[in-house]
Amino acid sequence: MAETTISTAAARRSFFGRFNLEVRGHMPMGQQMLVVAAGIMLGLLISAMLLVVSGVKPSGLVNEFVVAIFTSRRNVAAVLSYAAPLTVVGLAAALAFKARFWNIGLEGQVILGAIGATLVANHDFGPPALRLVIMALAAMAAGILWIGLPLFLKIKLQVNEIISTLLMNYIAFNLLLHLLYGPWKDPQSAFPNSKLFDDVERLMPIGWQNLNLALPIAVLLVLMAAWLLGMSRYGFLLNFVHANARMARALGIRIVGLTLLFALASGALAGFGGFIISTGIESRLTQSFFVGYGFSGILIAFLARNNPFAVAFFAILVAVLMVAGQSLQVFYQIPFAMVQLIQAIIVICVAASEFFIHYRLRMVE
Amino acid sequence: MDFVVNWLANVPGFAVPFALAALGLIICEKAGVLNLGAEGYMLVGAMAGAGVMLSLDVHPLAALAVSALAAGLLSLLFALLVIALRVNQVISGLVIVFFAQGLTALIATSQGWTNRAFSGLQDLNFGVLSSLPGVGRIVFQQDLMVYLTIVIFAVVVHVLRATHVGMRLRAVGENPEAADAAGVPVGWYRTGAVVVGCMLIGLAGGYLSVAVSKIWVDGMSGGRGWIAIALVIFARWQPWPALAGAVLFGCIEALIPRMAAIGLQLPQYFVLMLPYVVTLAVMVWTSLSANRRSGQPAALGQPFVREERR
Amino acid sequence: MNAIMGHMRGTVRRGPDGADVPPALVLAGISKTFGDFAALSDVDFDLRPGEIHALLGENGAGKSTLMNIVAGIYTPDSGRVAIKGQPVAIRGPSDAQQLGVGMVHQHYKLVKPFTALENILLAHPGGSFRAARSRLEALTKDALDRIGFDVDLNRTVETLSISEQQRVEILKVLVAGATIVILDEPTAVLTDDEAVRLFKAIRSLAMEGHSIVLVTHKLSEALNYADRITVMRGGKVVRTVLPTEVTEAELTELIVGSAISERSHRAGKAGKPVLKLRAVERSDSRGGKLRNLTFDVRAGEIYGIAGVGGNGQNALVEVITGLSRVDAGNMWLDAHGDVTNQPSDRMRRSGIACIPSDRHSDAIAGELRIADNYAISGVIEGRYGSVARVDRRGIAADTQDAIRRFEVMGVRGPYQKAGLLSGGNAQKLVIAREFSGKPSLIIAHSPSRGLDVRASAAVHEHLRAARDRGAGVILISEDLDEVLVLADRIGVMNRGTIVAEFEAPADRQMIGRAMVGHG
Repeated sequence: MAETTISTAAARRSFFGRFNLEVRGHMPMGQQMLVVAAGIMLGLLISAMLLVVSGVKPSGLVNEFVVAIFTSRRNVAAVLSYAAPLTVVGLAAALAFKARFWNIGLEGQVILGAIGATLVANHDFGPPALRLVIMALAAMAAGILWIGLPLFLKIKLQVNEIISTLLMNYIAFNLLLHLLYGPWKDPQSAFPNSKLFDDVERLMPIGWQNLNLALPIAVLLVLMAAWLLGMSRYGFLLNFVHANARMARALGIRIVGLTLLFALASGALAGFGGFIISTGIESRLTQSFFVGYGFSGILIAFLARNNPFAVAFFAILVAVLMVAGQSLQVFYQIPFAMVQLIQAIIVICVAASEFFIHYRLRMVE
Repeated sequence: MDFVVNWLANVPGFAVPFALAALGLIICEKAGVLNLGAEGYMLVGAMAGAGVMLSLDVHPLAALAVSALAAGLLSLLFALLVIALRVNQVISGLVIVFFAQGLTALIATSQGWTNRAFSGLQDLNFGVLSSLPGVGRIVFQQDLMVYLTIVIFAVVVHVLRATHVGMRLRAVGENPEAADAAGVPVGWYRTGAVVVGCMLIGLAGGYLSVAVSKIWVDGMSGGRGWIAIALVIFARWQPWPALAGAVLFGCIEALIPRMAAIGLQLPQYFVLMLPYVVTLAVMVWTSLSANRRSGQPAALGQPFVREERR
Repeated sequence: MNAIMGHMRGTVRRGPDGADVPPALVLAGISKTFGDFAALSDVDFDLRPGEIHALLGENGAGKSTLMNIVAGIYTPDSGRVAIKGQPVAIRGPSDAQQLGVGMVHQHYKLVKPFTALENILLAHPGGSFRAARSRLEALTKDALDRIGFDVDLNRTVETLSISEQQRVEILKVLVAGATIVILDEPTAVLTDDEAVRLFKAIRSLAMEGHSIVLVTHKLSEALNYADRITVMRGGKVVRTVLPTEVTEAELTELIVGSAISERSHRAGKAGKPVLKLRAVERSDSRGGKLRNLTFDVRAGEIYGIAGVGGNGQNALVEVITGLSRVDAGNMWLDAHGDVTNQPSDRMRRSGIACIPSDRHSDAIAGELRIADNYAISGVIEGRYGSVARVDRRGIAADTQDAIRRFEVMGVRGPYQKAGLLSGGNAQKLVIAREFSGKPSLIIAHSPSRGLDVRASAAVHEHLRAARDRGAGVILISEDLDEVLVLADRIGVMNRGTIVAEFEAPADRQMIGRAMVGHG
């Protein structure tokens, strides 16, 4: 029987007819990690071939991805400064996915977070000493606001959140353009940017290269997420909502409450990510500051299987891609879209490799 | 009056991409495959069509054919993931969108296709009919694809409802175990539905670049793929209501440039939000109306494994 | 290979005209494993033309797996199949169909929104759509008349009753021209009357020359309706016998192996009511309706609820566990007063435990650890650590203890995935969890469905122990034997209400009449 493709007609002729597809009961954790690692390696290999086809010499690959990044402090710092917001957004995705809420609207929430923070900065709201804290809170509130509507529609009316959160991205983007081309445009700039933040409105440096507070905050958030998911009672209950929602309901777990908690936390984190990017990297609101974060956050959470520590790991991997992508752009004229493509390729390979975790092919006579 | 004629005359052009994409999605989903990658197939179709127009001297219809083929090719990757390897259909659909975004931007940039205008598909002229006042412009001055879209709808509706293939396809989406037991090759039917459906979605994307904007811009599908997904839910997986929904969105999109033309001073970017806001409203309306689940294929999104045992 | 063919030839019979009539079906040396589990090992089986052959055994004996191989659903790891004396390879359902094999599965394989005729058409394409449609309609009507069935072919399957759906399945098989018809537990969902009608139809099929395999776990069916009986146990064939040459007791021993006899009914000491339902109404059609439902469950008794599935049993479970609200009526719990429409976590805290009918979707999270599955109800109730920190060490210790006390087998440790447990052991884990809160009321819905005799005896023993401890137990089961062996009092549920109550020992016939009555 052609279990790989289910077809019986094909079975008679094809090579697949020789195999049986079986559901695997369980694969030890170590083996699972090996399979995933193999998937990542395959993705990297395909990506490397793609880059070579696009005109990068193999020696150039080694240079840009390994030598340049790990031998230069500046590049290590650049990787870490990208990794911080990527981690935060990845955690946001992981919290929502764990609650089975497909928050595809991370990008919109990041944008709103940055808008919230900039709103506070533009109006110099609150004492300077607390300005950053207020900006962060405003960013989180804006992120919550932006996930709130799809969340409400999902819980009250069962409106599919994948599409509603996605539509909210486009609405957020148009809102951003409206602000940047209209009321918030910096008159001193030829570009659609908001005016630069004051010094008190930027994250303080931590004294190594150009790194700022974003990095330790991201580490702290990883630990907090690990506690919430791995040690707290909420995380314990959420595991059941994730693994078997019917059972959770039958046992009387308050699914709606947990979903609310984790989805709102997801929106808040994404908004906070917008705060980190605008105050820590760009120091102003621009029309493309957010590009790639929302999308990478989703992929990072998927690769990490919603595990906070793995989120940090994959965030660093994606950050390496982003930094290397920038220099490929400069030296080889490779469009930056390549970075997005490579991430997608890696995820496809990992997703495909998971087949071997769940199923086993067996030869039959 | 002029305003109305101008407006309505533009509706079909804006409605066709929604209509074709929704129809393609219906074919996939009737076979039980949740296809969230519509945005990606539209991008691939749009870029392929624009690329052909810019680099080869062929008829725009040939470019549209390439749009469909390109999307069909990409859909094989999706089919491999969700049908053969049984990867989660939500993740697979999303990653296809990301993949297509990266791929189209990469190819178009490296080939220098971005932001270059070309002469695309032109409107037909039916002589006297086309010069009828009002009606002539609205009904008889459209491009060939507008009329073909209606034909495609009629064909798909017929195939789904009154042929063996259509019935088997619906059975695969409703109850793959039953279809399998009846000897229907579930995997091949699903693969076929995905490829054909995605070709239609690619055609929708190709129409955007080849017939509507006559230019390629990165990310030019602008969320229409997602709106098409919402349209399918709104239409309860039925083609004709989906066409009606597509016309509704065509009306809204055609209205946006008109409003500026008649000097209505609304903030530009808020006007541009309109299709997304309306889509949200339509989704709310759909879920508020009675028996909202009706029409959804019962096995939508579920991979099929014959030798599952527990 | 020679040996196998020799075996096949050995079963050839002489026909009335002296010519060789090969057996309709021969299976030789069939083996099949799922992962580490050997579902079938070296099974031989033969089916004669025109006979009704019962394939008898407990759940999990391998009967369905064996027949699924014949139907092309599974491929065997090894072994040979011959049909009408010809060795064949069955690689899929369509192969089976071409070879004249038709199987009516236990879970009907029908497309719900399609009409009965469309479902039949699905399996038999050919020619133009319209032509095929009218050709099949005629064929089906003909088959309907021949075996005395009555089904409206133009109604959608979702509007047909269970027994009508079964008839559609049988028609599908007949229209396909099947000469070998396999029926997998055909009476599991039928009333006694419907079952009798079904067997009449089956006999007329056999008279027409069809060869029929009747897969069943019910002794009486095999003894009363089969020409030959093959008994399977643990993935092997035990013996093939004639119904005239065995007694029920002998057959039981063949099925079970070393005979396990369950202690039959033993009255507990009933106390005052722990649960009272008064005139409960629920109109939500999901899970069935309840109307004017009134009954008491006393401490220290097992209250059995007998009835054909789909008569409101699921709704009853949902109402008592607080998962769904009632439209009218009241519910009282001893020591907690009126608990009508309280949320499910509150009901659990009030001492209600539930063993749901579908444990894999409602009671076990297969991806999670055994320990987590055991401790979840405790965690919900606020045991095991604080909000900030779940006491994993305490959970592991308690789980170890529960695994030992409830004899959950096949466990290497508390951190193993629960999905790896077999059906019976998963059920023991559910019971261990549900009993861990010392509940005063236990509602068990088909607690031994899908379990072998040993495991169900263990489950029953646990329910008795809970009763003897003073808890009230509600046992909902479609298996009348289970109700009769366990319950101290029996209520019969029919169309959303209790239509009759009986004190044990109750009369089987009277219960059966109440189950299907319309009064």
